[in-house]
Amino acid sequence: MIRRRRRGLNKKKVSVDANGLSVLTELAEGEKAVIVRASGGFGLVRRLAEMGLTPGVEIKLIRKCPFNGPVEIEVRSVTLALGCGVASRILVKPLKDEPHD
Amino acid sequence: MTKQLRIALAGNANVGKSAIFNQLTGLNQVVGNWPGKTVERAEGTLHFKGYTIRVIDLPGIYSLSTFSMEEIVSRDYIAVEKPDVIVNVIDASALERNLYFTLQLLELEAPLIVDLNQVDFAAKKGIRINIDKLSEALGVPVIPTVAITGSGVTELLSTVIAVANGERKLAPLKVRFGAEVEKRVQELQILVENKLPQICKVYPARWVAIKLLEKDSDIIGKLKNYVGAAEVLEHAEELAAELEKIHGEPSPVILASERYTIANKIAKAVTVFEAPPRISLEQKIDSLTTHKLIGYPILAIIILCMFTLIFVGGSQLSATLDLFFGALSSNFESWLLHFLDNTTANLINKGILGGIIAGITIALPYIIPFYIILALLEDSGYLPRAAFLMDNLMHKIGLHGKAFIPLIIGYGCSVPACIGCKIMETERERFLAAFVVTLIPCAARTVVILGLVGRFVGLHVALALYAFDLILIFILGRIVFKALPGEPVGLIMEMPPYKKPSLKIVLTKTWSRTKDFVYIAFPIIIVGSLTITALDIIGFMNYITAGARPLISGWLGLPAEAGIPLIFGILRKELTLILLSELIPLESLSAVQMIVFAIVTMIYIPCVATIAALLKEFGWRKALAITIIDVAAALLVGGLAYNLLAIFMS
Repeated sequence: MIRRRRRGLNKKKVSVDANGLSVLTELAEGEKAVIVRASGGFGLVRRLAEMGLTPGVEIKLIRKCPFNGPVEIEVRSVTLALGCGVASRILVKPLKDEPHD
Repeated sequence: MTKQLRIALAGNANVGKSAIFNQLTGLNQVVGNWPGKTVERAEGTLHFKGYTIRVIDLPGIYSLSTFSMEEIVSRDYIAVEKPDVIVNVIDASALERNLYFTLQLLELEAPLIVDLNQVDFAAKKGIRINIDKLSEALGVPVIPTVAITGSGVTELLSTVIAVANGERKLAPLKVRFGAEVEKRVQELQILVENKLPQICKVYPARWVAIKLLEKDSDIIGKLKNYVGAAEVLEHAEELAAELEKIHGEPSPVILASERYTIANKIAKAVTVFEAPPRISLEQKIDSLTTHKLIGYPILAIIILCMFTLIFVGGSQLSATLDLFFGALSSNFESWLLHFLDNTTANLINKGILGGIIAGITIALPYIIPFYIILALLEDSGYLPRAAFLMDNLMHKIGLHGKAFIPLIIGYGCSVPACIGCKIMETERERFLAAFVVTLIPCAARTVVILGLVGRFVGLHVALALYAFDLILIFILGRIVFKALPGEPVGLIMEMPPYKKPSLKIVLTKTWSRTKDFVYIAFPIIIVGSLTITALDIIGFMNYITAGARPLISGWLGLPAEAGIPLIFGILRKELTLILLSELIPLESLSAVQMIVFAIVTMIYIPCVATIAALLKEFGWRKALAITIIDVAAALLVGGLAYNLLAIFMS
């Protein structure tokens, strides 16, 4: 599956596996996705869920900092900053670009 | 007779809860810690319609689980202390996330009123909320407010009283989950009711059942001591395992999802989006200040402006105040001599008045402007942006972006910075942040660095010292980070939207922080100053000078007299420079000696007031640990600097 991506400082290869899943940090700025699940410690996973990042919820990546910096996302009308370590543990399913966005 | 009421404000962070608290209590508030916890507790009283109402401002949290001390403190207060009314402050512009918390308050079966705050801001974003519908959905009164202007606050109070005296009946929403989860909650609830009737007197049985399904460590710990708990816990584990098998998620995630489903449903039903949101000025500022390239220079400029303002303004004010108090002090001493002998007069004047003057000449000129600017940065919403930008760097010393906030405060004064380390989530992070903070040169240390090295050796050398300090912080921070057990925590932080800071909030914050500083710092400064003056009078200082000679002269290469200023400097760091200049002409020092003196002053434990703040926040063990590491590092680095510089500069 090939998708257009905005050019950013982050030149990491985009990896989307066979199920069309990707990692949150690999979304492009402005791209939307649905949370599939977060992996990691019990506390982290629970914390993310409490902040609204539950499986199935739609998010939008607003921006990311270079050199594996934090990412900023919008979820449930709230803006959250997630450290790279945290964001890289979140598996997402990117949504196809909506025609009217 | 006035009737007494106790109410608690509960809600997420960044919803204007403190602003509501300020509107309710004005300056009539006491800020302290929860007993035995490093969690801030703000309390105030107000009088309304013949009632005396005590208001407790619970910490801003997102959930009532056990992620942080704040959450445990809050839920215990609500469940155990049972305040008459809980006012749940929610942000109208982020209803869904806020309702997640409201649902948990409903689970706790707390007498609830919802304060729908920031309705003006939500309206700007094109969000309008149907108050009646929301109130109907939740079964509790919903009062719209604008905390900044105080609109709606009177109605809020009237409602509080109506609910407390039973005039207004609540019919709170009974939170019901999806069938699979609900079935197990009810099953467990019955078991809890039967087996653990004692615990049901404190907590609602259903709530205990939910928490057990969520594997809540705090509740499990509390239950363990009861007879019959083993069976309940075992069954709870089985039920949780069943749920996890069905959903393929850890049980807390399943319950969070359930709550969010309900919150989403309610939010959708009561919200009307009126206009498609246009890109506002705030959003433009937001994208500039968090821009991956432009964001950093903006951050640097803001910090630079802040320090220039504080130091230029502060040093002038400080000089004026010093003149005034210097005159006052000598007058005071000659007046004292009418009644007392020389020694006692000296002790009282230097020890007590000297201590108070020391406090005032730092507090007024440097701390207050610093607090004002800090409150501006905070209230506008810039600090989280700065934290966002610095997250990457902070990770290198085992912290995350949020730690940048106390670090910045540390350049003003270490006392509020140590207190500010509360924003970190875990005890480990708090300690690490506080340690790093003590190494940041505060305003008083900057006076020494600029006044000695900057003035006599060159400004570029003084700036090099700052850079050196940052490198040192990095190295020491990393060592301590590696030595501390436990895993570093990643950044999960809400980015509140930018808003125009409110003068009232900025001034209230400045006032309460200044008050806090005075309470913590002044008694310690006075006691310390009295002790050292007493030691001086009985001639103890000569022994110290003699005793410290090998260290001061031999290892650090300083004149032996420099030992005394360094000891006195524990009271307030700029004293080191003032005393040094009284003992020896500063010009007689070599450049290397000046640099070494500045380095030692910069690194060794900030001052007694900071030690007091560390004691209050972390207990004596950790306060002592930080003190020892700082002093050892100062002596080690100072000595190395002397020995190395002596080779290169001779």
